[in-house]
Parts: sequence; C-alpha cells; structure tokens
Amino acid sequence: MYRLLEKTDEEPVASLLTGKVSSGMTRPLPSTVVSDLAKIVGHEHVITDPDRLLVYESDGLTAYRRPPRAVVLPSSTEEISAVVGLLHSNGIEVIPRGAGTGLSGGALTTPEGVIVGTARMNRILKIDVENRIAIAQPGVINARLTEATNPYGLYYAPDPSSQSTCTLGGNVAENSGGPHCLKYGVTARYITGLTVVLAGGQIVEIGGVGRDPYATLDLVGLFVGSEGCFGIATEIELRLLPITEGVRTLLGIFESVESAGRAVTKIIACGLMPAAVEIVDGPTIKAVEASVFAAGYPLEAGAALVIEFDGTEAGLDLDADRAEQCCLEEGAIEVQRATDPEHRVKLWRARKKAFGAMGRIAPDLLVQDATVPRTKLPEVLAGIDDIGNRYGLKIANVFHAGDGNLHPNILFDRQNQNELELVERASKEIMQLCVDAGGTITGEHGVGVDKRKYMTLVHGPAELEAMAAAKRVFDPASLFNPGKVLPEVEVKGATDTAKILATGE
Amino acid sequence: MRVDLTDSLSRLLPEEAFGHSVPSSLWTALRTDVETVVAPGSAEEVATILKWASEMGVRVVPIGTGAHTYPRYPRDPFIVLTTSRLNEIQHYEPADLTMTASAGASIRDLSTEMATHGQWLPFDPPDVPNRTLGGLVATGLSGPLWAGYGQLRNHVLGATIVCGDGRALRLGGKVVKNVAGFDILKVMVGSRGELAVITSVTVRLFPLPVVDRLLVLEATDVSELVSTARAVATAPIMPASIILSATSDGGRLLVRLHGARVSVEADQKSLEKHTGVSFEVRNTPEAESLLVQERGSGIDTELVVRVWALPSRIGVLLDLLKQVPGVSLNADVYGGSVRAYLPVNLSDIESSLAGLQKDIEELGGTIRVLRIPAEVDASSYFAKPLVDEGELAAGLKRAFDPHAVLWGIE
Ligand SMILES: Cc1cc2nc3c(=O)[nH]c(=O)nc-3n(C[C@H](O)[C@H](O)[C@H](O)COP(=O)(O)OP(=O)(O)OC[C@H]3O[C@@H](n4cnc5c(N)ncnc54)[C@H](O)[C@@H]3O)c2cc1C
Ligand SMILES: Cc1cc2nc3c(=O)[nH]c(=O)nc-3n(C[C@H](O)[C@H](O)[C@H](O)COP(=O)(O)OP(=O)(O)OC[C@H]3O[C@@H](n4cnc5c(N)ncnc54)[C@H](O)[C@@H]3O)c2cc1C
Repeated sequence: MYRLLEKTDEEPVASLLTGKVSSGMTRPLPSTVVSDLAKIVGHEHVITDPDRLLVYESDGLTAYRRPPRAVVLPSSTEEISAVVGLLHSNGIEVIPRGAGTGLSGGALTTPEGVIVGTARMNRILKIDVENRIAIAQPGVINARLTEATNPYGLYYAPDPSSQSTCTLGGNVAENSGGPHCLKYGVTARYITGLTVVLAGGQIVEIGGVGRDPYATLDLVGLFVGSEGCFGIATEIELRLLPITEGVRTLLGIFESVESAGRAVTKIIACGLMPAAVEIVDGPTIKAVEASVFAAGYPLEAGAALVIEFDGTEAGLDLDADRAEQCCLEEGAIEVQRATDPEHRVKLWRARKKAFGAMGRIAPDLLVQDATVPRTKLPEVLAGIDDIGNRYGLKIANVFHAGDGNLHPNILFDRQNQNELELVERASKEIMQLCVDAGGTITGEHGVGVDKRKYMTLVHGPAELEAMAAAKRVFDPASLFNPGKVLPEVEVKGATDTAKILATGE
Repeated sequence: MRVDLTDSLSRLLPEEAFGHSVPSSLWTALRTDVETVVAPGSAEEVATILKWASEMGVRVVPIGTGAHTYPRYPRDPFIVLTTSRLNEIQHYEPADLTMTASAGASIRDLSTEMATHGQWLPFDPPDVPNRTLGGLVATGLSGPLWAGYGQLRNHVLGATIVCGDGRALRLGGKVVKNVAGFDILKVMVGSRGELAVITSVTVRLFPLPVVDRLLVLEATDVSELVSTARAVATAPIMPASIILSATSDGGRLLVRLHGARVSVEADQKSLEKHTGVSFEVRNTPEAESLLVQERGSGIDTELVVRVWALPSRIGVLLDLLKQVPGVSLNADVYGGSVRAYLPVNLSDIESSLAGLQKDIEELGGTIRVLRIPAEVDASSYFAKPLVDEGELAAGLKRAFDPHAVLWGIE
C-alpha cells in the first residue's frame, strides 16, 4: 500500500557504497532566479561559485556528497519567506541547513535543490526571565543560548555533544538529544512555540507559552523532528531551566562493557535519577589515550562509565554514594568522584574527545545511532562486539547509556572498497539487532538520507503512509528536503495491521 | 439511532460488547441522549466499529470513563465507544521504567501495580485515579506536576491507534529516545478522540519520590499569595508543582517538593529564603488528601472554565476572576492556567461568559469552557486556533479521519 511518494532522480536506496551521489557540475540556477534571490538577500548572500559551494556538499556524514545548485543565506523570517516563495514558484526544492553537523545526511541537497542556510539568523530575540522562555532565531548556536541566559541564573537543557557548533534550528529539526537528556529530556520537551515558513513561503505561527494547548493539535510537537521536510523554523520559543546548585561526577572503570551496562540498569532501577550516564568502551579508551586528548584512563579497562548527578547540593553526595555502590556491586575496578569543575572536566574528557580521537586512528568513521531498552544493553553490546568480529571491523562504542541510546562507531578506510561493503552490511546487522531487542533505528541523529533503507525494519506500510500524509499536510508538493526520512521504494508484503490488532503491540 | 443501524452493528460484534452503561454527565456533555454504547473487547473490534461507522455515516465518540468529555454538539446519528473492556497491562519492565497498557485501563489500577515497584506516572489532572490511560493521553494535559516532570506528551513513548477509517497504526515504540520518522504520536497526545481511537499506550515511568513534601501557605489576601507563588516559580530550585487555590474569601498556596529528605529540606530552606515567608509543612498521607481535595474539589460543578495566559500574568487573571461572586479558582502557577468553578446561578450565563471572555482576552489570555449546563450553547467559548494552525489541524484530521467519523475539529 505504501507507494512511490516523491519523485527525485536519486538512486533508489542511498548507501555508503554509492555515497558520492554526484560528481562534477550540478546544473546552475537560471540567472533570473539568481538575480531575484540577490534582490531579496543581497548579492553577497547568494552563493553560486562552485568552489564555495563545495563547503555545502555534505553534512557531518561526509560519505554522502553533492554540491547544491546554490546556497542562499537570508537574515529574517520575511527574507526566508520571500526566498522560499521564489524558489517554490519555480519548482525548485529547498533544503534547509543549519551548521551542517547532522549525522544522517539530512542537509544533503537533492540534484535540483537549493540550500537555504540559517547562518545569518543568529540573534537571540528575547530572554523572558520571569516566564523562563527565550525566543531565538534558528541559526543561534546551541551553547550560545546557555551562555546568554546564564547571567539570569538560567540555561538551555538539551546539550548535544556538538553544542558548540550546531544550531537550534538543526536541533529542532532533528529533535536532538545529549548526555543530560537522561534527566531533562530531549529538544521536544523544550520547544514551546515556532514561527515556520511553509511551502510557497507562507509564514505560520504555531504554539507558544500561554496559549491554550487545547486550541489545536500539538503541531509544535509534530514539527520538531521533521528533519527539514515540513518547512523552515525561523523563530524558536524555548523553555529555560534554573541552573542547578551542585554537580557530582563519577567515573567508574570496568573490566567489560557488559558489566558497565549492568551497572547502568542497576543505578536506574534503584530509583536514582542521574543527570547523565555515559559509557566509553575499551577501544574508545585506547584511542583517546593514544591521542593528544589522553585523560589518564587505565588502558586495560574494558569500559568507563561517566555518571553525573545535579540538583540541590545537599542530596548529591548521598546519590553519588549509592551510584558508586551500584558500580562496585557490578564489579567496577575503581570509582573516582569529582566535586570541583577542573576534576569534572578531566573525568568527562574521554567522553567528550572520543570522536576527535577516533579520527586519528582510522581514516573514516561511521557514527551509528540506535536505541534499545536499557535492560537490553549488555546483550546488545555483546552482539555488536560479535558483529564487529565477524566482519573484521573495529567498532568503538561511546554513548548515552542511561537512555539506552547506542553509538557504535565503525572505523574504516573508504579507499578500501571491500571494507566499505562490510561496513554497510555490519551496519544493517546492528540495526536489526537493536530492533529485535525492542529498540529503534535512531535515537537522536535522525533518518536523513542514510537510514531510509532501515525504516521498514521498524515501520509497516501503513505507518509510513501515515507519515507521508503528515508531510503532505505541511508540504503538499514535496518541495522541502525531498528524498529524506521516508523510503521511496515500494514496501512489499502484507501490512502488519493484523498483528497490531491481534497483539496490541 | 435507527433500529436497522444498531441491528447491523450488533451482527458484527459479540454480545459482551453491548449493554454497558456510562455516567449521566456524558449526556450533558453530548447534549443529547445516546442509545447505543459499544464496548469493544479488542483493537480488532474497534476497527470493525469504525469501518462500520464509516460505511453507515454514523459518528463515534470514544470515551474512557465518559466523565470528563467536554461539550460537543452532535448533528448526525452517533454511538459511544467505551474502552472499558480494553483494560489489561500488556508489558511492564520495571527496570526499564516503561509500561504498556490498554487504553481503558484505569490509572488507579496501573498506579497500584507501579507502586509495588516504587514507580509512578507523575501526572495529576483532577480526579486522576478515576481516569483511563487512554483518556489521560487523549486529553493530553499533565496537571501542575509538569513543573517538575515535564509534560505528559514527552513521556508517551508509543501507542497503537485505530484511525477514523479503521486503519490500525503502531506509533513510536518502547524506548525513551526515538526519532525514526515524523512524530505523529505527538499529535495523538491531546487529540481528544478526534483523529483516532487510542487502543494502547506505552509510557515512561518515574521512581516514586522518597519524600513528597507539601508546603502550605494560607492567606486572606490572594494577591499576597500570588506574589509568593510567582517568587517560588522563579526561584533557583524547581518544585514539583505550584498550585494556588482561591475563593473570594482568601486562598491557599501549595508547593510540592520531591526528593531525598536532605534535599527536600534544603529546597524548603532555599525557597523560604528566596520568598521571605515560612511555610507550613504537610507530609504524606496528610499532604496527599489535601492535594486530592484541592485538585478534585469542584469537579462536579456544572460550569467550569479554564483560562490560559503567560505564567507571569496569573496574578492579573486571578484578580479579575475572583471578582465573580461565588467563584472558586485553582491555578497552576508554573504552567499559567486557571480553572474556574463558576456558580450556576449566574443570572445569565451566556452574557457573563461573554464579558469574562472579553476581559480575559484583553489581558492576553484565552478562555475555554470545560463543562456547562446542557441548555447553554458554549461553542463560542472555546479558545480558537490561529487561522493557519486551524488549517494544518484540519489537514491532519482529513489524513487520519477522512470520513469525519470521530467528532471534533470542524
Ligand atoms: C561531533 C558530533 C557530535 C554530535 N553529538 C550529538 C548528540 O550528542 N546528540 C544529538 O542529538 N546529535 C548530535 N550530533 C548530530 C548533530 O549535531 C545534530 O543533529 C544537530 O542538531 C544538527 O544541527 P545543525 O545545525 O548542524 O543542522 P544541519 O546538519 O545543518 O541540519 C540537520 C537537519 O536539520 C534541518 N534543518 C536545519 N535547520 C533547520 C531549520 N531552521 N528549520 C528546519 N529544518 C532545519 C536540515 O534540513 C537537516 O535535515 C553530533 C554531531 C557531531 C558532528
Ligand atoms: C470540570 C473539569 C475540569 C477539568 N480540568 C482539567 C485539568 O485541570 N487538567 C486536565 O488535564 N484535564 C482537565 N479536565 C479534562 C478531563 O479531566 C480529562 O478529559 C480526563 O483525563 C479524561 O479521562 P477519562 O478517562 O475519564 O476520559 P473521558 O472523560 O472518557 O474522555 C475524555 C476525552 O478523551 C477522549 N478519549 C477517551 N478515551 C479515548 C481513547 N481511548 N481514544 C481516543 N480518545 C479517547 C474522549 O473522546 C474525550 O474527548 C477537566 C474536565 C472537567 C469536566
């Protein structure tokens, strides 16, 4: 029942192997369109020079590359509206882009597409201290919002590891998470209202603190996580939290990643509510220790667990004691504890520098992302290890363990065709493993172009069609970021409606 | 309901699906007597009913208990679909803090089960134990505890639904982080049975707080309470909830603190320092009964409205609302909403409401009728979506309920 939805002349199923989706020149924009765009945003903000366009040929998932026909950098909601209106009326597809740190190819252009970037939309428009909300343009860097609100005793909770470069617009589009989302929840929890530019340039306001949530459906919740496929967020209203009084950071060293995984389950099951629980596995520790980021973790360690508690100072030592006990009961070799900021930074170092360090031990890195029920971590980690061994691939895990959100990072060399194919096959097996354990194919990086091929592992044809219908409500002609999220291929086989009905699951 | 219609339905379903009763308040809400109530025993039967209704041009109102259905204005023949027979726990993994249960399961039963593992669902709309899980999710409001725990919509991890045309969908999953595709689950939370019938729900649970302390402050001067309440809402610590109840004679501020004993004690000190007042302390179970009383009082009042505004405007709203003689108010100071129980002997409900609506809108708020005597047409006292929002919502309605079998969004 799920049919071909959107026409693009892209390969039916994008894969690492076909990663370089286009080489050579893309078709330039008609000069009238270029000059009309320049009239809206100014000449210097319409990029058509092929050399400069190369910067925009991929996002953080560099396996997929294709230069756009042009990049437009508007500076206001009105300019975005005019730009989108102009492009859409010429039938040209719009690909929204923030900082390009996405890890699923979400900001990759289509062959005929134009990128609309938010780099110049970087103003914080309002900080409402009394109501604890802020209104920001989408190009504001995540960490800057926290810096700007700190003087008022407030901060913005979602903290993707890329927070010093990624944008709030990108966070909204991906519904991004971060280490501290275990306690505080992901982006969706903090987005209270949006101004969006929809198909044809229509400006629409949705939600907002102080509005009756009963007045309509949760359109804000639906837009969050729509990966640039519904429209462009041009103003974002976000909820802020008061800065917590105290923090305790623990570092537990374990012999194996499985025992670290069991400690995670124990900590959560005993009623503790840590702010963050992150695992760094043995291969990652070795990579970090061999790099300039060496943090002094024991090289023979099978895994390290970074656990953080925050909140009222008075309760923190108690929580930390109990978590330490849980770690020791699951066989931790040692547990360190930091109270001062300097020591805290040191304990976090291996976690924070993991990606940088891995870049130094292998030419290429595929950051995978999937979620499983927390209790399934030990068996799933063992399974991933097994997959790595079978394919002879190095897989390093560094991830948001408290949420069951895995990041198995596959190290490889793209010059080696054979290895590429193994990476592709291992990825698929890892996804299947996570889905079989009751999990899903992405916890925070989104589907983008890379994971469309896995969508049928978790969704049946009826669900995919319902998602497509939701997109059509916002973007009937599919002129926003087409070819993302939903698989284009026809899904064969019976719908599993019968099974849902029978089991209720 | 025409006899031939009910006949054709009864041929499709087993006998157990018929003969169920619903509370009389439902008839008030629906402004008519309903003859046909069906209680499907499975999601398949839900689908059967909705397909039948699509073919016959009959409308369907899904209910949990039926006690909290907001006013609607039926035009066509309709039946009531109760989820009372869909009531089992399908999956509970305490170590994952997740539970999946059928839509008709009562929050009371689920909470009893969760409590045996030291867990709970931290949402407290009024009279919550008597609600169903499906009703809670379909109405989508969390109650004042969302100050400390976030809104219900962020803790609904998955659901199975049957769309208006009988299509069954499985949305979301059982894991706490999931971005595999567009998040249509979000629009089901709070969709009030207008897009689909929810048949099961997976929720994220929380550990029960070690200490649940209630700080109480009573005063005859409500504005004094309001300024303390706002000071609490902007304090460096975040309470679990901040409720202010008031009548024309005075009011009561209730601040709930959750956590370990030492941290709750420290939080109380820090709040008292910040606000410059000292609170009276109530601990469980005394605290609980006071809360139940506060949250549930007036639940049977015949005229209830809810007002929303920016939290910082709560004071001006309360100033306005407390002028209505005989009114009783209950405000969520963090969320920015006030429930007002209005005396029904208001000489002329319609013009009083219209006046109230005008004043509230001037203050930047919106008003919505939650319950109203059957004689009165309340349709103009629903906060309206912005025009564009309304169009998007209507588009979604068409996508999920193409034959408009389920009532709502016109
Ligand atoms: C080292 C590293 C660590 C990371 N760690 C995390 C992590 O901990 N948690 C996590 O969740 N992610 C993480 N990421 C992924 C990435 O940073 C996030 O997905 C981020 O939200 C992307 O933001 P961006 O501004 O770079 O968006 P881009 O990559 O530019 O775009 C991402 C998607 O958003 C769309 N988009 C961008 N702006 C808008 C807008 N204004 N309106 C509508 N759509 C828009 C694009 O079309 C695209 O589909 C990490 C990435 C890297 C490189
Ligand atoms: C006086 C009054 C004050 C209220 N104040 C508040 C408040 O402060 N906060 C708050 O959160 N709520 C409030 N409500 C709303 C009410 O409490 C909720 O509607 C309640 O949660 C419903 O639970 P229930 O199981 O009894 O559902 P019902 O009363 O049976 O149904 C409630 C709504 O949900 C729909 N529904 C029920 N089950 C399903 C299902 N399985 N699938 C699809 N749709 C379904 C119904 O169609 C109906 O629209 C108030 C209501 C009244 C009358």
